[in-house]
Amino acid sequence: MRLLFLLLLPILAGTAAAAEPLDLTPIKKWIARQDDFHNVQADFTQTRALRALRSPVVTPGHLTFATPNSLRWELGDPAKTIVIRKGDTYLLIQPAKKKAEHISAGNIGQEGGAKGFAMMEFPLATDFAEFQKKFEILAVTTEGDRCHLEVLPRDAQARKFLSALKIDFDTKTGHMIAFEMATRDGSSMRNEFTNVRVNQKIDRRAFEFDLTGYEVTDAKN
Amino acid sequence: MPRIRPGWIALALAAVVFVAAGLSRISFNVEILKLLPTHLPQVEGLSLFLKHFAQPTELIITLEAADSDTAEAAADTLAAQLGKETSLVKRAVARPPWEKRPADLSELLAFLLINQPPEKVKELAARLSPEKTAATLQDTLEKLTNSVSPQEVALLSYDPFDLAGTLATSGLMSGAQQSEFSSADGTFRVIYVEAAQPFPNYKSNIAWLKEIRRVAASAGLPAGVKLGYTGEPAFVADISGSMEWDMKSSGLVTLLVIALIFWLCYRRLRPLRDLQAMLVLIFLVTLSAAGLFLSQLTVIGVGCAAIMIGLSVDYGYFVYQRSLGHQGTVRELQKQCVQNIAWTAGSTAAVFFALNLSSLPGLSQLGSLVGIGVLVGAVVMLTLFAPLTVRFHHPESLRPPSFIERCFASPRFLRNGAWATAALVAVLLGALVVKGPPADDFSPRTLRPRVSEAYSALNQLQARLIDDRDLLSLVVAGKSEDEVLARLRATEARLAAAKERGEVRSYRTALPLWPVAQNQDTNLAALRLLAAELPRLKQAVLDAGFKEEAFALTEGILKQWAAWADTPVPIWPTNETSRWIFRRVASRDGGKLLAVGMVQPVAGHEDTVAATIHGDGVWLVSWNELGHELRRVIPAEFHRVIIALAVAFLLIVSLAFRNVKAVVLFVSTTALVLLCLIGAMSLLGMTWSFFNLAALLLLLGTGTDYSILLLLALLRNGGSAPAAQRELGLVICLCVSSASAGFGTISWANHAGLAQLGATCALGLVIDGLISLFLLPRVWELFQPRRQRSEVGDQKSEPASTGNLASGL
Repeated sequence: MRLLFLLLLPILAGTAAAAEPLDLTPIKKWIARQDDFHNVQADFTQTRALRALRSPVVTPGHLTFATPNSLRWELGDPAKTIVIRKGDTYLLIQPAKKKAEHISAGNIGQEGGAKGFAMMEFPLATDFAEFQKKFEILAVTTEGDRCHLEVLPRDAQARKFLSALKIDFDTKTGHMIAFEMATRDGSSMRNEFTNVRVNQKIDRRAFEFDLTGYEVTDAKN
Repeated sequence: MPRIRPGWIALALAAVVFVAAGLSRISFNVEILKLLPTHLPQVEGLSLFLKHFAQPTELIITLEAADSDTAEAAADTLAAQLGKETSLVKRAVARPPWEKRPADLSELLAFLLINQPPEKVKELAARLSPEKTAATLQDTLEKLTNSVSPQEVALLSYDPFDLAGTLATSGLMSGAQQSEFSSADGTFRVIYVEAAQPFPNYKSNIAWLKEIRRVAASAGLPAGVKLGYTGEPAFVADISGSMEWDMKSSGLVTLLVIALIFWLCYRRLRPLRDLQAMLVLIFLVTLSAAGLFLSQLTVIGVGCAAIMIGLSVDYGYFVYQRSLGHQGTVRELQKQCVQNIAWTAGSTAAVFFALNLSSLPGLSQLGSLVGIGVLVGAVVMLTLFAPLTVRFHHPESLRPPSFIERCFASPRFLRNGAWATAALVAVLLGALVVKGPPADDFSPRTLRPRVSEAYSALNQLQARLIDDRDLLSLVVAGKSEDEVLARLRATEARLAAAKERGEVRSYRTALPLWPVAQNQDTNLAALRLLAAELPRLKQAVLDAGFKEEAFALTEGILKQWAAWADTPVPIWPTNETSRWIFRRVASRDGGKLLAVGMVQPVAGHEDTVAATIHGDGVWLVSWNELGHELRRVIPAEFHRVIIALAVAFLLIVSLAFRNVKAVVLFVSTTALVLLCLIGAMSLLGMTWSFFNLAALLLLLGTGTDYSILLLLALLRNGGSAPAAQRELGLVICLCVSSASAGFGTISWANHAGLAQLGATCALGLVIDGLISLFLLPRVWELFQPRRQRSEVGDQKSEPASTGNLASGL
């Protein structure tokens, strides 16, 4: 499937040029602020504006995160896709089809974010140095308490199909407001976060899932 | 002015025409495999692979930059610049062709789908039936909404009926992570440049590459961008260029060395000039014969020039030496020389022609060329040089003895020479005992040039892009698609079993891409009906909420099926993108079909896997495996040839000497020379390759002359070592110097194997000359009865002069 993807996707030239030096202070502060977050819960609305579709597709979802690396990402209501991360393993669950897939976190990096888990990577980096290592910063603009950041993964495979990652965050609270993946064919997937709750009590069972009756596979490397 | 006979004029004209015709046909064959026995499976398989899949007009330019953006932009710039040079370049490709024309992939996908098992196509047709179309599209929309994979979303956006899903489940699309255009980090890129015209000869190849470099240099690439050139045109330019240079330089230097030696000994300009002219003539005639009667000159054959010159000059020395004391006619001089020259030239030529017994075509060619050259040399020296020596003859008494002649007249020199040679022998034998024999190296390294930009670029490409050095190439051949298909299926089964046994790590064959005529025939009948429903399917896509562009790929596939409806099977995809993809996987050429795949064996199991898979029309090959095969086969073969030659030689010398002691001493000397040579190789860190083994063959024919001459002289003069040494010292010195110069000059050839052959032979000849000249006569004397020794010692030793030198040749 990956080969076919690479074959088919028309590559639009995209260059990122920043003629003037960027003010990276908001980003540094924001990343540093993430250290204060031990857990995060948020609702989100995902909008997929696909070039091939006449109308965008809008889906609700819910995110739960707890340090160091526990994550639950639900898309749809009822959930059509659930991603649970515990430690080094992702579990991709499709409740309607009763299917689940184990994916090693190490392989996500090799796939260059191809699984789209960049959407739910939380936090994006532990410090600014790591952030710069993973991403090339294309643009930073601030309007009031809202900062808009555009980056591109440095991974060559990811850059083949992504034209930008767009992140909006609240400079006061440090909360993420929106996260968008823009692809080279002009499509985009945007998550807008609402009802963000930080450092509140979380039921650890949120990171568990009963796979009884599910067909479980391991992802091929 | 003396009248020149018409016969000579006619002969001269014929020679000019012969040389012109022959030289104009000279061409170089740079294929390394042409040097090797064609019956070996690895050679056979690799030859097929290179012949059908190495693109003869496709240059590969590698480009490296500090970051991926710079590399990408530079590659695009260079490709665009090269593309403008339409007289030079047919096309320059820096990106996959389907990036600019994604619609071209419809044909490939259509082909892959009709190749599937009929039951899969039935499933597909069912999904697209009027009853199920809406559900299929709804399923796609769900995936587009809920999938967390941007790749899956992107694909399904342009494949709403998930036609590619049929291929994904068949395993076709798994595994291919590598790009043939860019490294993973994007800083190393590749541009494929196809020449506008095929190359008629190697010179046009070299000129074309020069022009490409010029265009690249003027393309305005950013500083820091590094370019490399590899691929067939680069190999041809590299190797043939160095072949031409090696041949010219080694021949020229040999001529200069011979001239220097001749001058040091004789101080005569005119005979030197005549001798050099004869050597050039011999070279031209032999090379012309090669051009007319041999197909192409290999990298080993180019060494013939220097070797021929170094050997043929011996006959010139002999004729000249004889002429110095000759008072009679030219015919009488020729009569005096013919028997000895005939014997020497005949035995030397026999040894070189005997290389045709070897199964190495490269060495056979060298043997034929030098054998012809030696015989031509003998004829030229007798028929053309002899009359010239008499014409410009000076009375012997006017020439004082040369430095070398004075040395050999001095008992002290002979004594010191014997001690020095004995010390050298001790050192070399000691080295052999202490260090052991040289290690062997039958790797493909000895088949390649020592310095080659094309190979350096190739190594870098393999390191950065697709490192296939540990992979084995699977080559499957057949006369028809069905035959190849059957062999592919059988091979896959064997590979699967080998994987089960833990011998193979992974493999990929061309089976998913190979046309299955039966499937195509069955599937096209069903898919033609589906193609007729294009309007319905398009409307369904639009009704589901997709845009028209989402249907483009599907439309292309359906139209392709309709176009193939009446095409006889097997069907191959033919548009440019498909040809690009298939060019490295399948070949259909002149009634022969080939498919290529790759196998990654588990370390240590390469030989086992290669042996298991090899079968009728199936080869598992690599350059490393070739080295293993050569190591198994070639030494044994050489041993057989060497033993056969040794036995033949023994018979010849037994007839020549008719003396048991002489035969025993000849054998002992030869054995000692070989042991010292092996010790010298060990001391100098040289390795055994099949080129060194060939050198042993050559030494049998050339170096043994010196010991034979000494023994004949000893038998003739009643066993007087000093007399024999005085008689032959100068001539043997001249012969050793010229022959070792001839071989020595090819030791700097760019071809690793040829350089080894030259170095080994030069070393062997010098050792042989020293042992034959200084030790052999002493040992002979040791075995003389006392009475004979004192009688010989009573003979007055006359000062060395050319008049008394009766060459035993």
